Amino acid sequence: MSDHKERLDQSLSAFMDGEASDMEMHRLLKEVSEDTELRNKWKRYHMASSALKGDPAIASIDYSSAIAAAIEQEPAHRQGGLAVFAGSAGRFAIAASVALVAVFGVQQLNSPLDTVSDVSEFAGVEQMDEENTGPAIQFPSGFQPIINARTVSAGGNNKRSQYVTPVIEVRQQVKQKYSETELRAYMNDIMVKHSNHAVLNSNQGMLPFARLNDGEAATEKE
Amino acid sequence: MVSSLTVKSIKLAALLAAVLLHGTLFAGTMESAHDLMARMAKASRELNYQGLFTYEYRGNLTSVKVMHGVRDGQTFEHILHMDGAQREAVRRTDNVDCLRTGDMLLRGNAYKINNDNYARLEDFYEFHIKGDGRIANRQVTMVHVLPKDKHRYGYVVAIDKESGLLLQSVLMSHTGKPLERFQFVEIVVGASLSEMGFDEEAEDFAGVAVDQVDCLEANRQVTSSPSMWRAQWLPPGFVIASHRAADENGQESMMFTDGLAVFSVFIDPDKGRSLPSIDANLGATVAVLTKADINNQEYAICVVGEIPRATANQIASAISLSP
Repeated sequence: MSDHKERLDQSLSAFMDGEASDMEMHRLLKEVSEDTELRNKWKRYHMASSALKGDPAIASIDYSSAIAAAIEQEPAHRQGGLAVFAGSAGRFAIAASVALVAVFGVQQLNSPLDTVSDVSEFAGVEQMDEENTGPAIQFPSGFQPIINARTVSAGGNNKRSQYVTPVIEVRQQVKQKYSETELRAYMNDIMVKHSNHAVLNSNQGMLPFARLNDGEAATEKE
Repeated sequence: MVSSLTVKSIKLAALLAAVLLHGTLFAGTMESAHDLMARMAKASRELNYQGLFTYEYRGNLTSVKVMHGVRDGQTFEHILHMDGAQREAVRRTDNVDCLRTGDMLLRGNAYKINNDNYARLEDFYEFHIKGDGRIANRQVTMVHVLPKDKHRYGYVVAIDKESGLLLQSVLMSHTGKPLERFQFVEIVVGASLSEMGFDEEAEDFAGVAVDQVDCLEANRQVTSSPSMWRAQWLPPGFVIASHRAADENGQESMMFTDGLAVFSVFIDPDKGRSLPSIDANLGATVAVLTKADINNQEYAICVVGEIPRATANQIASAISLSP
């Protein structure tokens, strides 16, 4: 047995006992991914260790090369990865049972809402573009072309261009004339009526009234 | 051997504990999240409170002052936009115990669609308690409300632990993006009307119309409308909450709710000629206006609500005149 191999064997033993140094672990992982004989020894050690601890199933799966590869790519996580692997089979099994429950929980609770880590991310304008098809950028009052349609802002006000004004998209190029003023008045009217209704039936108190935009000021009083 | 047994029993205990604990928590959550929502609706109606909240959509933020008080069974409300053009709304309700369709739906087995079926909010949303938080310097319980289909949005709400009031409500799209957010920054609960500077005898309230929408008795649906207009299709779970016959301009309106989401349908006999077909976004609110040419009359049919655009379009195209 060469010096090199002997040293690796010692490192492996030290590793199994949780006493390997960082440098030893690194070398061991590098070698174990290339050296079949060493890898088989690694497996045997684990099986023996698991059998002693009463859980034969765990060690029959060879994680070592995959873990080594993953660790190779993520030096920052080296310590954490090894710590998991070095854990006793008992700890591993307990962790697995918790993980099972956690996965179950996620399946039950997983939803689009869960992907929002924090609702305080909210204010980002660009996040909302997917749902709101109108332009999210500052939109001056008046007409502005959009693909195959004309848009007019409603409820907007020239002096108030710092607000993102609501956007109305006219679906078709209409032959008959319509008055922008009338359209605005109509939109304002139905928004006020709708808000009144929402206050009564959405179970959110007066909150729906907050949706009323600047343009509705004139008609807001019931 | 002893150590092996110990490890095994620890494992077993941990597994059992994890499963049992999880199961219990989960069952408890289902129950109380819905209760919390029902309590919230009651609190926002019956308690005295005043505060400031922000309303945010698409990077646009406004702040709003709200006062709400009850005296002698009458509810007084005042809402004032703190920025932009001067906007305020006042409102009076004669009967604080008045229950609307939305209340009924939130209460669970209270709203009968027909002899056999109840409209149940739980059939269309999941409710999950997501832990604790702090809003407006008060301790809150966070609740996620998830839609079970594509016809309504979800909510992230924060409910005040002490009073049950809604302190935050974020409307969430199906992809988990916030569409709009209400959030209190400050709230005082329990002050009397006079302490809030509320003068219910003031002119403000003299001219305010009392709500026209009828109160409901338990297990009662809104009496079927005399309208000739029908929605041939409604998103599941939505029921009619009110109907207003043609006003002086001929405009007829119907309101629908599933207990959380609300949409309105407006039908104008004359506007069809003068208004274009539109798709509009007003914050998280969509408005879809279509036209129907019936008996030489061009009707404008407009669906407005905080619902997905595709659903609004589907409803709009399903509104028709009964033969």
